Amino acid sequence: MSEVENSEVAVENDQKDYVEDGKNKLNVKCKFCGSKILDKKSAKYITLEKDLPLMQQDNNRKEGEIQNEQIKEFYHVENMYTFENIGFTHTVANCKYLSCADCDAGPVGFYDMDTKHSYVALSRIEHA
Amino acid sequence: MAKKTYDLLFKLLLIGDSGVGKTCILFRFSDNHFTTTFISTIGIDFKIKTVELRGKKIKLQIWDTAGQERFHTITTSYYRGAMGIMLVYDITNEKTFDDIVKWLRNIDEHANEDVEKMILGNKCDMEEKRVVSKERGEAIAREHGIRFMETSAKANINIDRAFSELAEAILDKTSGREADADHARIATVAYCTSAAVAASAAHMPEPEGAPDNFAKTLAF
Ligand SMILES: Nc1nc2c(ncn2[C@@H]2O[C@H](COP(=O)(O)OP(=O)(O)OP(=O)(O)O)[C@@H](O)[C@H]2O)c(=O)[nH]1
Ligand SMILES: [Mg+2]
Ligand SMILES: [Zn+2]
Repeated sequence: MSEVENSEVAVENDQKDYVEDGKNKLNVKCKFCGSKILDKKSAKYITLEKDLPLMQQDNNRKEGEIQNEQIKEFYHVENMYTFENIGFTHTVANCKYLSCADCDAGPVGFYDMDTKHSYVALSRIEHA
Repeated sequence: MAKKTYDLLFKLLLIGDSGVGKTCILFRFSDNHFTTTFISTIGIDFKIKTVELRGKKIKLQIWDTAGQERFHTITTSYYRGAMGIMLVYDITNEKTFDDIVKWLRNIDEHANEDVEKMILGNKCDMEEKRVVSKERGEAIAREHGIRFMETSAKANINIDRAFSELAEAILDKTSGREADADHARIATVAYCTSAAVAASAAHMPEPEGAPDNFAKTLAF
């Protein structure tokens, strides 16, 4: 927590710390309640550009407007039953959003209705 | 295909009149402020939860359904694949309790005859508004030979316990037949979902997302 420079470097090295043999080296948990989302080594690390709605939308935003953020790093989960605990929303534009099964925080990722594959955003989860 | 990391998959369904709290049971009333944002606007279709029972790792896939769908419109496709059904009424609403009998009849007609059922008297945090006594809930469950529990989605009372019990009951039922240890068996616990889901039963993710023998299990 002390040096700002160090935290910059840490971000750069994220992938090294968390990914091993192309998979998540550590368990994947909810940032807010610690609920276990994925077992270690159960999902593939991939990069992909995808807009995800913010977990916390600004209350002052225009009605009906959704604030997005582009995410580039994901864990790719081919079979939905690989998840330990996860919620799937109703379908919006051919995709379902993923949320924490215990506290409902999300989206932590999305599910593609065509491929039936799920993608969990690294920036929205915690490794443990 | 990746190796299976669990022993069993149980699909559960939530059923009951509109307003009894099915969606709240699935979507926690959480103090967490995040629940009021994006996810709650869209709503949860189903959840996957992992529990361990008697040394077995069991995945529960829990579906919400819509109570506005009247019993007569609930069809076989709606129940397909469900190995467990949570039948929910509201202890502050007489009508929802009376309708339990109709839901039971509907389940008998359309669901797999193996399906494991459990009755939940929800909103037990509202003691001052109670109109259905716990004894009446227990009596109807006993009469039909099924499990019963009072719950509160709001105060988080007995929710996890109810799901564990239902899963355990399904486990009891399936373990007798579990000669083939290599195959994960799929059980389904049915939840009551909202109109959108019931309106399109096709919407239920079918075998595609499931393990190899999921389709087979659903077909019996
Ligand atoms: N006090 C209390 N209120 C509850 C509880 N569960 C649900 N409610 C309230 O009951 C109302 C209906 O809850 P829902 O979960 O939307 O009911 P539902 O069964 O999903 O209804 P449909 O989707 O129409 O079938 C909401 O206003 C909830 O806040 C509970 O355990 N206690
Ligand atoms: Mg509902
Ligand atoms: Zn959480």
